[in-house]
Parts: sequence; structure tokens; C-alpha cells
Amino acid sequence: MSEFIQSAYSGVLYGSVYGLMALGLTVIWGAMRLLNLAHGSLYLVGGYVGWTVVNRLSMPVEAAVPVSIAGAAIAGLLMYGFFLRPLVGRPGWDSATLITTVGVGIALEAGALLVYGPQVKDFPSLISGSFIYEKVLITYQGLLVMAVAAVCLLSVSTYMRMSRRGMAIRAVSQDVDAAKLMGIPIDTTFAIVIALSAGLAGLAGVLLSSTFYLSPTSGFTPMILAVVVTILGGLGSIKGTVVAAYSIGLIESFVNVYAGPSWGLPVLFGTMIVVLTLRPNGLFGVGEVRRL
Amino acid sequence: MLEVRDLVAGYGGSEVLHGVSLRLGDGECVAVLGPNGHGKTTFLRAVSGLVPLAAGTVELDGEPISDRRPDEIAAAGVVHIPQGDMLFPEMTVLENLVMGAYVKRAWRERQRKLDRAYELFPWLSKRKDQLARSLSGGERRMLAIARGLMADARVLLIDEPSLGLAPVTTEQIYASIRGIKESGLPILLADENANHLQGLADRVYLLETGMFVREAPADRLLADEALLAAYLG
Repeated sequence: MSEFIQSAYSGVLYGSVYGLMALGLTVIWGAMRLLNLAHGSLYLVGGYVGWTVVNRLSMPVEAAVPVSIAGAAIAGLLMYGFFLRPLVGRPGWDSATLITTVGVGIALEAGALLVYGPQVKDFPSLISGSFIYEKVLITYQGLLVMAVAAVCLLSVSTYMRMSRRGMAIRAVSQDVDAAKLMGIPIDTTFAIVIALSAGLAGLAGVLLSSTFYLSPTSGFTPMILAVVVTILGGLGSIKGTVVAAYSIGLIESFVNVYAGPSWGLPVLFGTMIVVLTLRPNGLFGVGEVRRL
Repeated sequence: MLEVRDLVAGYGGSEVLHGVSLRLGDGECVAVLGPNGHGKTTFLRAVSGLVPLAAGTVELDGEPISDRRPDEIAAAGVVHIPQGDMLFPEMTVLENLVMGAYVKRAWRERQRKLDRAYELFPWLSKRKDQLARSLSGGERRMLAIARGLMADARVLLIDEPSLGLAPVTTEQIYASIRGIKESGLPILLADENANHLQGLADRVYLLETGMFVREAPADRLLADEALLAAYLG
């Protein structure tokens, strides 16, 4: 019983983290057909901004959350304004922007290394305390991460379905020219998408750094898993991302507990291969739509 | 109302329109008539900003709009119902309609505008939660027209509204366009069939290989069968 609860608890926790990271990737892909490989570095920005707020500015750890979200969103907007915007719509822009995001990602990672050094940084938890249920240690911090992720996934999907700007993001992703004819400004819409996505990465960064730890390379693994989740769920589909995030989290954690940690990743990628063979566009992916 | 002067436009170096001029007055319905592939769609796309102009100007009520982005032109009230409908396929009928009212001024009035769209095509309200990609060709066209009317249009551009439709549906579509005209909204209509324009267009421009070769009141031009046969075949 305790093994089951341990697996379920870590599975939902991993799923929440993957969901937060993958949501940001999928909204950018949906609207811009851009795979943002700087996403892991925006996670780092969130983490280091949070660490600075707590350790250098001596502010309470709760204050780190909004500042980290804002910091990552601003970093994302700067990346868009300086490096991506001049490329969007040009011939071959999709591969050009992909490489640009890799470059920005490496630069941010190197910047973190220069400024903060290679040491692993510790962070106070947002909420301390824990309890033991059926011999499984459950932390309040872990529960908080789950709750925050659930709220974010719900509110982003509501925003995309109900609000004027959110619906416009979907319209742009389905037919750019038609969206222009509706009076939707493409540039502003892209900026909103980037800020939203980067803000989510920043939030994941500060939450996870305060749950685990922070180092200049700690954005990489969450991003790769988020890429897997996004592809598995169907690029651009929020519903697919949510389903895939929790499925992958649960599969990973059940395999870790019942078959041993060395089986986690192989089973994960095996699942991905099987799903993509059967459904090349992912679980909830729709066929490729017209590009910009 | 809408004034196009010496417009030159095309795609990637190949010029399609070689300096065309057109006027659309208040409450008027003006048709651009011509065979396929002679530049009707390019003309409308150039007016709404989707195709960049190589030369010439477009003015709306004396204001130059040809240097603006397509979304700004749409926001200024030049509403384009494009060829091929260009609906948002993964959005519902209702969401497509609501996107038509994206511009803030129209957004505030969207409920009233929705009621009007449902009055124009009552089936829309019964099937408002259906995805646009599951509609039939005729239904898609009606939704595209209704979506265009959700905006605060000052001028409506309609591109070949009967393209690919059955005769019954075609009749229904033109009836709705006549209704729009009676409401006083100026319409710029691109068409390749002179019969559709009877009792609808006030003036007609004949387009051939990217040039307006004739401009005349509709009743006179549409009665000249020899001329029409020569140009439209």
C-alpha cells in the first residue's frame, strides 16, 4: 500500500512539474509553430531571480514567486523583441528561430554560471512542514506545487477558451491570415504568448528550486521532459499536454518504485515511441495546419 | 467612401495588378467582374493589406490606409470575407463568430451582433457548438459571411461568394448579400458570373489580366451580352 501511495504522490508531483513546463512550450508551438529551446533557461531565470530575491535582497520567499514570474516573462519578451521578431515570417524562419532559441538558452545558462557560479544553490521552501501517511513522507511544499500547477493549467485553458485575447491566440494558431482579417494584431498576440509561456517557466523554476535545488544546468532535464510531454500530448494541444504530463509523471514514478529507477527513462521513451507510431500527431494532436 | 488609386500588386516579383483604380461610394455595391486568374482575389487582398502594394494608394473616407497592417485596416472598418472562407477550423461556430467581433468596439456589442447573425442564418444558433471544420461547403460560406458581419464594418469586401456551391445555396447566399446591401453597408464584390450581379451591383468594373478594361453602371454593362461574352467567354 505504501509503495502505491509513494508512486501516486511522486507521480502527481512530477506530472504537475511537467505540466507547468510543457504548458508553456505548447502554447508557443500552438500560436507560433516555434519550438522554444530556451524554455529551460527561462526556468533558470525564474530560479535565480527567486534565489536573488531571497538571499541577496533578504525578502521573504513568498515575494520571490511574483518577481520570478515577472523576471522570466521579461527575459522571454526581450528574447522575442531582439532575436525572434526580426526573423518571424522570413523565408526559413522556423529553423532560424529554433537555432536562435538554442543560442539564447546557452547564453542564459552561461550567464548564470558566470554570475552565480557552478555551486548548487539552496532555497528555503515556500511552506515548510510535512506529514507521514502510510509510511510515505508528504511535504506541504509538494502539495503546494500540485495545487499551483492545477490552478495554472485550469486558468490557462480557461483563458484560451473564454477571453478575447486567449481566443485570438488560438485563432492565430489556426489561420494567421484569417486572424489578421479579424483585426487581430499578430505581433502583440505573439508577445502575449511569449510572456505567458516564459512566466510559466519562471514559476516552475522558482517552485522547483525551492522544492529541490538550483544549479546552472538544472533547467535542462525539466525542459527535455517537457518536450517529450508536449510531443506526446500533441503539439499545441493544451488538453493533450495535461493528459500527457500526468501520464508521464505517473508512469515514471510507478516504474521507478516497482521496477527500479533505472527503468524510468527507458519505459518513458518506449511509451513515447509506441504512442507516436500509433498516433504520429500525439494523443490529441490535430493534423498540421497552415503555417505563417 | 473607399478610393483605390493606381494600385500595383503581385506575389514575389510577378506583378498581377498593373495600376487599377476604383471608387466605392456610400451605400453602393460595386462589383469587380472577371474570369478566374485575372486578379480579383489579389485586388481584394491588396485592399485589405494581405498582399503588399508595389505602388498606388487606398483611402477610406479620405484617410490613407494602404500603409497600415492588415489588422489595422480591418480595425478601421474594411472587413474582408475571403475566398475559401478561411474559418478557424478547430473552433466552434460560436467562437468563429465571436472572433469576427475581435476589435474592441465590436466586442462590447458582440451579444447584439450575435443575435443579428442568428437572425440572418437561424441554423447558426442551433449548431453554435459544432466545430467549423465539420460544416458543409454552403454552411461554411454562410458562417464566413456571418463572421464578417460581426465586425463594425464600414466597407465589406466579399470574394466570390458562390465559388464551389450548389445553385440552391448560391441563391441563398446572394439573397443574404442583397439584404446586407439594403442595410446600407457599401459592398465591394468580386465575381466571375455576371448573372449573380443582376439587381445587386450598382456599378461593375471589368477586370482583365490585371487591368480594369471597362467601368459602367451595372444595368448597362450586364445587358451588353456581346461584351460579356467577349470578356468572360
